[in-house]
Amino acid sequence: MKRALTLVLLVALAAVLLNAVADLPPHGSPDTPAYTHVGAYYLENGSEETGSENIVTSIILNYRGFDTNGEVTVIVTALMAVIAVLTGVQDTGTQPDAEVIHVAPSVVVRFIVRVLAPFILVFAVYVILNGHVTPGGGFQGGTMLGALAIALTLVLGERESSRLLPQRSLRVIQVIAPLTFVAVGLAGLFIWGDYLFFPRDEKLRGFAEAMLVLIEAGIGIGGAVVFARVFRLMGGRQ
Amino acid sequence: MIDLLWDNLDYAASMVLFCIGLYAVITRNNLIKKFMGLNIMETAIFAFIVALGVVDGGNAPIMGEGAAKPFINPLPQALILTGIVVAVSTTALALSLVIRIWRQCGTIEADELREAE
Amino acid sequence: MTSWPPLLVLFVLTPLVGAVLTPAVSDTSGRRSWEWALGTMLLTSAMAGALIMRVLDEGPFSYVVGGWVAPYGIELRFDEFSAFVAVVCLLGLLAVIFSRHYARDALAPGRIPYYYTLLLLNMTGMIGFIVTGDLFNLYVFMEILSLSAYALVAISGEKTAEMAAFKYLVMGAVSSLSILFGVGLLYALTGSLNMADVTGRLAGSAEAPLVLAFAALTLGFMVKSALFPLHIWLPDAHAIAPSPVSAVLSGLVVKVGILGMLRVYQIAYGSGAIDLSGLNLMLTWLGAISIVMGAFFAVFQDDIKMMLAYSTISNIGYIVMGLGLASPYSLIGASVHVFNHALIKATLFLGAGALIHQTGRRTLTGLAGVGRSMPLTTAAVSIGAISIVGIPPTAGFLCKWYIALGAMQAEEPLFAVALVFGALLIFVYYIRMVNAFYFRKPQEAGAPAVHEAPATMLVPVLILAALCLVMGVLGRLPLSFIEPAVTRLLAPLGGG
Repeated sequence: MKRALTLVLLVALAAVLLNAVADLPPHGSPDTPAYTHVGAYYLENGSEETGSENIVTSIILNYRGFDTNGEVTVIVTALMAVIAVLTGVQDTGTQPDAEVIHVAPSVVVRFIVRVLAPFILVFAVYVILNGHVTPGGGFQGGTMLGALAIALTLVLGERESSRLLPQRSLRVIQVIAPLTFVAVGLAGLFIWGDYLFFPRDEKLRGFAEAMLVLIEAGIGIGGAVVFARVFRLMGGRQ
Repeated sequence: MIDLLWDNLDYAASMVLFCIGLYAVITRNNLIKKFMGLNIMETAIFAFIVALGVVDGGNAPIMGEGAAKPFINPLPQALILTGIVVAVSTTALALSLVIRIWRQCGTIEADELREAE
Repeated sequence: MTSWPPLLVLFVLTPLVGAVLTPAVSDTSGRRSWEWALGTMLLTSAMAGALIMRVLDEGPFSYVVGGWVAPYGIELRFDEFSAFVAVVCLLGLLAVIFSRHYARDALAPGRIPYYYTLLLLNMTGMIGFIVTGDLFNLYVFMEILSLSAYALVAISGEKTAEMAAFKYLVMGAVSSLSILFGVGLLYALTGSLNMADVTGRLAGSAEAPLVLAFAALTLGFMVKSALFPLHIWLPDAHAIAPSPVSAVLSGLVVKVGILGMLRVYQIAYGSGAIDLSGLNLMLTWLGAISIVMGAFFAVFQDDIKMMLAYSTISNIGYIVMGLGLASPYSLIGASVHVFNHALIKATLFLGAGALIHQTGRRTLTGLAGVGRSMPLTTAAVSIGAISIVGIPPTAGFLCKWYIALGAMQAEEPLFAVALVFGALLIFVYYIRMVNAFYFRKPQEAGAPAVHEAPATMLVPVLILAALCLVMGVLGRLPLSFIEPAVTRLLAPLGGG
């Protein structure tokens, strides 16, 4: 009954939605407002104004850098939320972790992960640092680094792999992404007078690039640490 | 209207996907499945916004040698990159809540949880 | 100093940096995190003061991040509606102060640093949401705000906390998606994300997508602010959260939906591209139903925080009805009620938190006779109760009066009747509460002696209660402050 009712309501909703999107500016046309207004400006001037060949990266780090600043705060918020939810209390409930089955990964898996790890690491660093010329950037590379950390945790076991992260400074490293972002932004503010300002002068281009690389590295490392931490927390350990 | 929809097929598909996701959110009993429905809805909206940036015959918006017009609108892609991170964060929090609920109550079926309350 | 433009962006960054560093500066059991959070909130509040002085002086102003020009970069904008940050900072500050003993006693020690982190991130999200002038940036800050709010509900350690948080999360995530969809549609129609720019370019858009965009935005914001049929997540979440968090959620976080709605109105009225009278009629009705239903459910609650949570739904009804009536008086009343209700509800929730903390009981029956042992707290809560009913010398009166006047102005006297009827119902349940405090005997004779809460809990409650009275006397001040913004909002409609 509930399902049938939901279905009827959703079909009605779908009709409304389809009716509305049918009247949108035609898909794929170069004359739509979405393409001719702000987007066109980025395509026209992005490469020159920001020095980055990949316009998506120039939007993420330059034009809409503040969004990205918020975005790294969102992942840190998620990490803080997961820590707050999963730690600090004893489980009073009826469901112990007895059902978790501990099986050591097979030799094949262990071997392959160990062999691939350095290559994944190099590729992740490449993706993080090359975001301004090729598809990629801090988040994409950070995800790979995080995946690598998760794979290593599975293969090495928890105790061994926790040595990969410096435990003592973990509480700073896990928030490194917003911290580097704000630090670089404030550098722009105090040197050139605007938050997240990057010099556009030809002479200072190298300096601007260094700032961007710093941000990308911060996002990459911070993101990877967040993913690894969330995975381990969900596995029941700090 | 059908003609118009056919031209805007990408938009229409994401709207249908959106409704499928919403159906799962409303009717599924298992909390993880409920949340998977939400992920489908998220994907639908992301697909919709990315589709806004498509230009027929467009290339990736990466300048440099060999780059040829027309380029695809880069702004929706940049926005959705942010959107994906937000979605991942929400998922992480939702799953940890489900883990806690499972440990506390021994079930993640919505109706059994309601009875247990 | 007050007119230094980047102050606006530093205002968002201060709580952000303070939040992410909280676990690093405190040890694992949460020592020093209170001092750190307090310092952060004091600094943020000082900045809020400076920004409000500036908006008083020179009207709305904006700042574009990174030195890009406005629709290409992200614009931050501060106008009279943004002055809500004053209440955000004040309540944030008082909630942090209140948490000193509360968190130590009610939360698991390992969670305390993260509790303050999430509280500060919540403030960051709210401040960012209020000052941003860019639609997508609004979404990003809304997510910081929402994620931290879900976790703050789950943190309390109550048995059903995670379930309440999960329900809140699903509803919240669906509403966020609805808002993102609306933003996407507006982008498809205008090619821009800057609110001012969107407003200017909206005229002449195709009608169906335009209507859908505004419907999606309205739906999303109304779920966030728990208007009647969309309120189901609110009572559990607000009642189960730790009391300082309840104060923040009920006083501030639901108002974010209202402020988002005001932004939607600014775009819709400013562009003149769409006629919102149908939507307004629906909101007015739903607001009226919300007033009555919220009050109705509240009457039957014995749990004091549950009662306060339903009362929030009722009060959101007042605000939404004021918005929907769309006459100058009702809009002024609604905007000021956003401020006043935040103060009043924080008084009530923090006061209730102090009562629960000291007595260990949260039902009206259990709290019977507590007026004798905790006279100051119960007096403060009673002042809050009188204010929320809207009895003349207190903060709640003038804004409800203005909304009623607005109903007459819009020639809809029926809604003024709903308003008065709602006020009567609210009166009934707060009378029950005050009656329980003062005129009923404690149930068990052998109950342990109860005394007033420690100063860190008592002082915030008393400050808020005093503010309820002061705002009642100085009620015209916020009204005249918000008036230019309302006039500007309604100007394109003609008349007014």
